[in-house]
Amino acid sequence: MRELELYFGPQHLGMVGNFSITLKVEGDRILKATANPGYLHRGFEKLMEYRTWIQNFPLVCRLNVIEPDHMEMVYAMAVEKLAGIEVPERAQWIRSIYLELARVGSHLFGLWAYANMLGFDTIAQWAMYHRDLILDLFEELTGGRVYHIYIWPGGVRRDFPDGFANKIVETLHSIGKCVPDYDDTFFNNPLFYERAHGIGKITQEEAKEWGAVGQVLRATGIPYDIRKVEPYAAYDKVDFDIPTRENGDAYSRIWVIRDELIESVHLIFKLLDKLPEGEVYNKVPNPFKWKVPKGEAYVRVESSRGELGLYMVSNGKDKPYRVHFRTPSYPHGLTILEKVLVGENIADVGNTMISLYVVAPEIDR
Amino acid sequence: MKMNKKLAEELELTFKDIEVSTPEDTKIEIFAHKEQVLTILRFLKDKGYNHLALISCVDWIEKAEFELVYILTPYLQDYEAYKEIGDIHLKMRIPRENPEFETVIPIFANAEPYEREIHELFGIKFAGHPRLTHLLLERDYAIPPFRKDFDTREYVKDVFDSIPPIKGEKK
Repeated sequence: MRELELYFGPQHLGMVGNFSITLKVEGDRILKATANPGYLHRGFEKLMEYRTWIQNFPLVCRLNVIEPDHMEMVYAMAVEKLAGIEVPERAQWIRSIYLELARVGSHLFGLWAYANMLGFDTIAQWAMYHRDLILDLFEELTGGRVYHIYIWPGGVRRDFPDGFANKIVETLHSIGKCVPDYDDTFFNNPLFYERAHGIGKITQEEAKEWGAVGQVLRATGIPYDIRKVEPYAAYDKVDFDIPTRENGDAYSRIWVIRDELIESVHLIFKLLDKLPEGEVYNKVPNPFKWKVPKGEAYVRVESSRGELGLYMVSNGKDKPYRVHFRTPSYPHGLTILEKVLVGENIADVGNTMISLYVVAPEIDR
Repeated sequence: MKMNKKLAEELELTFKDIEVSTPEDTKIEIFAHKEQVLTILRFLKDKGYNHLALISCVDWIEKAEFELVYILTPYLQDYEAYKEIGDIHLKMRIPRENPEFETVIPIFANAEPYEREIHELFGIKFAGHPRLTHLLLERDYAIPPFRKDFDTREYVKDVFDSIPPIKGEKK
């Protein structure tokens, strides 16, 4: 049969985000896949070398449109490590709650993308609506819906407003009430099983070899999670589980995302229960004159997609010397995607890509 | 004695003239020569540092050197295990003139896009890399854009000021 070259994305219904894949196909089987990132390359890491430590925050959160909060966290952690700033106890707990809310929002967005791509439009609409409820919470807390800039070196920008904890509980309960509906219509739906099982399958050894993190790795049975390996914020103060699955295919990955979403909600309840009183902010030097001491730091957090790292170098000036983000979509979207697409069907390209949870702006930076 | 202190000693014994230090309890920093990097990486992978988290590059323009940083964060499951072995920062410097190094893809398969990116943004050639084509950018630049002597503001001025105004439009 004749070999054809096929351009999949960025203008394609099955593609979420500005990303494209060049496929070499024979019939509808894929012989070779080449990922083409770069549609959203804004050179943020270079721009950050031209801006002061605090001026970088609006850039940092735009690295990942879907969950800017973990980006803020990792940047704030790096600055704190370099400058030796302590964070008050209450701020650590608030950060954890805030990051878990971000994870819930991000997983709902991911569910929207996945359900939408498979044609489960109703579930997609539900997920989008429920994410909107989380955005309402963020709006009340920070003033912004998508980009919040709430985490700050030295703590968080402001304390929870009166009655905010109750609002979080109410909102999460109203989302949690719909979990049986999601299960009946989507997760336990035989149609979903038929479409997703065996798609983009990777083994444990392959996952390790190709540098997988997050759900992609956990779906093969390895409970690798930075919140447990190198606890930050208040994650070592509460107990929580790391959901895993064994099969390593799209079906397992989506189930891991679902279980994680529920685990995050429980985690927020546990954190709210024990939330200590106190200050939420330690004063930092005047941002206009702030010079961070010489040195380098590598810090990492568990973002909704896996290990998110930041390598930062300071030469003792008022601006960073080098900033390099290690984003989880990077190995997933560039290395693993190209490898697992070989032998798949054209109809499963979007399926594979979204189940790997790839977010294009994170790759391009 | 902790595992990582032991490993630091072992590294110093096994490899000639490398600098090993443990600036934090969970971090080993290694400064190595160009020729040793691949052997050290292979040695560390056998020791359980099985995840390459990042390859980064820093342009130390005043010393006319590029510093390549290999960060290894092993796949572990809890803090107890992590405390024992920690992370590795392996550093190596190469001159800024005609910078060249070898690929580490045979050891860590996920190094491929990182090396492509460094080639594109810093202009370092990796011998043995299967495709050093553009990753994020569209075209070649006279100075690779992430080098310190590439001034973004000057570049914007040069490029956009040279576009002639549309006829009839006041300048």
